[in-house]
Amino acid sequence: MRKMKKKNETGSLGHYFILFVLPALVIYLLFSILPFFYTFIYSFTDYSDIHIKGLNFVGLKNYVTVFNTSLMKVAIKNSLIYAVILTGFQVILGLPIAAVLNKKLKSKNILRAVFFFPAVFSSLIIGYLWNFIMSSSDYGLINNLLHRFGLETFNFFTADRALFSVIFTQIWQWTGWAMVIFLANLQGISPELYEAASIDGAGERQQFFKITMPLMCPSVKIIVVTGLIGGMKAFDAIYSMTSGGPGNATETVMTVMMKKGISDGFYAVGSAFGVCFFVIVLIISGFTNKIMSKWSESIS
Amino acid sequence: MREQSSIEVSKKQKIKLVFTEIFMIVVAIIWFIPIYYLIVTTFKSPQEATLSPLALPSVWRIENYIDAWINMEYPRALGNTLKITILAVAIIVLVTSLAGYALARTKNKWGNRVFLLFLAGLMVPFQMNIVSLFKIVKSIGLMNSIWAVILVDVAINVPQGIFLFKEFVESSVPKELEEAAEIDGCSIFRKFFVIVLPLMKPVIATVVIIVTLNVWNEFMTPLLFIQSRQNDVILQEVSRNIGQFSTDWTALFPMLMLGVAPLMLFYIFMQKYIISGVAAGAVKG
Repeated sequence: MRKMKKKNETGSLGHYFILFVLPALVIYLLFSILPFFYTFIYSFTDYSDIHIKGLNFVGLKNYVTVFNTSLMKVAIKNSLIYAVILTGFQVILGLPIAAVLNKKLKSKNILRAVFFFPAVFSSLIIGYLWNFIMSSSDYGLINNLLHRFGLETFNFFTADRALFSVIFTQIWQWTGWAMVIFLANLQGISPELYEAASIDGAGERQQFFKITMPLMCPSVKIIVVTGLIGGMKAFDAIYSMTSGGPGNATETVMTVMMKKGISDGFYAVGSAFGVCFFVIVLIISGFTNKIMSKWSESIS
Repeated sequence: MREQSSIEVSKKQKIKLVFTEIFMIVVAIIWFIPIYYLIVTTFKSPQEATLSPLALPSVWRIENYIDAWINMEYPRALGNTLKITILAVAIIVLVTSLAGYALARTKNKWGNRVFLLFLAGLMVPFQMNIVSLFKIVKSIGLMNSIWAVILVDVAINVPQGIFLFKEFVESSVPKELEEAAEIDGCSIFRKFFVIVLPLMKPVIATVVIIVTLNVWNEFMTPLLFIQSRQNDVILQEVSRNIGQFSTDWTALFPMLMLGVAPLMLFYIFMQKYIISGVAAGAVKG
């Protein structure tokens, strides 16, 4: 009787709970939680590759360095631009493609497969591929075609354009991803709603804005939050296409963190930069959550 | 009269649908050009690729592939990538199914706290911690070992895995079955592996697909933790060779192709499952 009671208190697993959770918890504590706390600790010390032992507490000095280094400010700005544009286009292009591919088209399965195709591959390789496609030399596919029509060479990698060229390739890569998530959402909307609306005389456009858009809120929220955070983490495509150049034109948070925090050995400053990155991500997710819930409130 | 007009409407809609379809096919063809270009260029000589970039190759040369295969030390790099992916996926499925199940069945404050701790991981980008991860991996002697990549990749994917498994157990694994097994005197681990795990097949498929894509395409963890060529992965081989052979550009396309080929095959054969797995994982995660 006493045993039974004990069991109910801890749930049906009893003391086995800890054995079930332990393996995941150990790996997670060691490689996620522990590094997280060390990042905070390091960010307040004078840790660097020339000062490895006997770390001193230096207060907010590293954070001051982060905010006084133009490279790091440029990196944050670029990552924000990257995240916002990429996410915006994922929604603007992904939603209509999903809406059309939700119709009774004969080729809808193969069309879905084609749009999703680039999302399967590593952004690093996609970046290298587009590097060749956008190259200014004669073998660059786009410029090769432009020359055939007697047009002048278009340089995709000037300081003004390079960031947008990289973003363009990423829009191509990730729109299909967004489309798949929008489609899953669309398929969950009951067709009866549309039938009722068309009996009431609502046209297709009206149906899209009055029924589809409001009910798509959950998937749009997913794409906006994951897209913005994913965009802030941008590294692979930049690494393969521009490695931050020309100049600092395409440096992002992660390319700078790799260069300063790891390669150049400014461990403490790199950690402080990591903490700033974390705070920015928190603000973005808090902000988008707030906006999105306001949106769903205003609709219902 | 009325019937006729509704037929007309449906006819009109049908024609509209056909035009929509044609339009989408054209868009999809344009969308596919970069991948088509990648494939055909791997078989061409530099001259041919410059003269007629979008035509099919006049001769299908495979010399480019042989060179790329050798220069990338492809079998070794592929082996390392496979080892890392398979081990990481297996570990994630094992530990997160156990934990997700336990967290779904334990309704006390500790269960809740542990779950919140895991959930917090969804908000923390691991990239912010690369400096400290680098130090931790070094201090436990895993630097340059594929286990560093495997364990960190597992840690990155643990929160989502636990979330998906917990959700699934709560919604689709009936408690009655387990209770019946308990009455039959089944041990708790036996119960999990014999009764619960087989019921989890759909969510296991989702987790396997998402994690396979994540781990296979993860470039930053190998870049951080693997320095010797002996242990490196396909993506590192691609980036190393692109630097080295940057003048002979048609030699590089087969390397890109060999870089994406395994996942391309995986996608072509598992397309339906991958697309639905990605959707299921994102909508719930």
